[in-house]
Amino acid sequence: MSKDEKEKKKGGIFQAVKEFVYGVAAHDSARFALKTRASMEHLFILITMGDMLGVPILPPYYSLRLLPYVVPQISTWKRRMLREKDLTDALA
Amino acid sequence: MIRISLSRIFEEYPDRRYIMFGGKGGLGKTTFSAATAYYLAKKGKRVLVFSVDPQASLSDIFKQDIFGKGATEIMPNLYAQEIDADHRVKEYQQEIRQKILDMYGMEQIPDEIESYIQAAAAEPAMEESAIFDEVVDIVVTGGFDYYIYDLVPLGHALYYLSMASVYDAWIDKITNLRTQMREYDQVAATIKREKTLDEDAILNELLYIKDRINKSSSILTDKAKTAFFFVLTGEEMVIKDTVKAAELFAKFDVPLSGYIINRVLPKELINQNIPEYLKNRLTMQEHYLKVIDEQFAGQILASVPEMERDVTGMAMIEKMARAMYGDLS
Repeated sequence: MSKDEKEKKKGGIFQAVKEFVYGVAAHDSARFALKTRASMEHLFILITMGDMLGVPILPPYYSLRLLPYVVPQISTWKRRMLREKDLTDALA
Repeated sequence: MIRISLSRIFEEYPDRRYIMFGGKGGLGKTTFSAATAYYLAKKGKRVLVFSVDPQASLSDIFKQDIFGKGATEIMPNLYAQEIDADHRVKEYQQEIRQKILDMYGMEQIPDEIESYIQAAAAEPAMEESAIFDEVVDIVVTGGFDYYIYDLVPLGHALYYLSMASVYDAWIDKITNLRTQMREYDQVAATIKREKTLDEDAILNELLYIKDRINKSSSILTDKAKTAFFFVLTGEEMVIKDTVKAAELFAKFDVPLSGYIINRVLPKELINQNIPEYLKNRLTMQEHYLKVIDEQFAGQILASVPEMERDVTGMAMIEKMARAMYGDLS
């Protein structure tokens, strides 16, 4: 086994251990952070684009400026804001 | 009674480059704006007088159609501008549509988004916001020694002023939220050992909006650079409203420079053979001028006589400027 291959193998094991440790210890934290982030994203769209749901919050001139950035989120956001509490919430 | 001369204000405070006339509707804000612009232009200053009123009347007073045409030269050094809010909103909507199409490579705006864009333009605050935004453009672009705001009547002017502080507070809140969101992104990225985050385009957009609003509101409340004059007449309701408005303006930190009395009937008339009606008006005026002197003691800058005809066209504007500032040379 050449020196290079040895290094590579060592790296591979190290990588696997790193991923394992990440999975055990940190994955949940990362998921939690992202989930919180997603809720905040929805809150953010609510306070900028609220008038789409009939909640007028912001003078519209500048809210239009932000519209292009949230186009992809609009439909999921509307669903989330408008749906009633149901079983799927427990699964979320 | 002692009057501080109006022209002295301009001589003593050359840094006050943003000039505003406020007051109830129909008291002569536009007239005073135009006459002041004329006076300063004659003094060799480059002046822009512009209207923030969707129902602007600068075109009428200069007898020249300047609506939506940008800064138009009226005479050497004097430029006037009326903002076409409707046009600006339409252009702006189109800009937003184009941006969405470009960002996502779409052929057509989704119905839901399109109806939102259209609904937003129909909001009552849209026109005012559009004008507000254009004023920022005008002021930021620069190029003039003086900017004279032909303001809207009191109620609207207050709305205009409060908009700056409301916007400001609102933008602060969402910028904070956005910054927090970014921190969560950062946490997730660090835990996952990902490389640096992409720039947050929305946060940048918010900071841009905040910057524009700050520029505008800082001018409106800058004591060193702004002079705000109240226009009033010798009538009970006008005086009462002006007192109230002055208190409200003070709350928004608007730097009040003083008061100008308009439409003062010449006192000499009383000795002439005039009808009862006019006599009554003169007696009433005398009473309320006293009230004004007590109410706004030491802050009255000028009293301007009622003209023999309405002030439109350059000859009458010049006459008005002389009545306000005296010698024009």
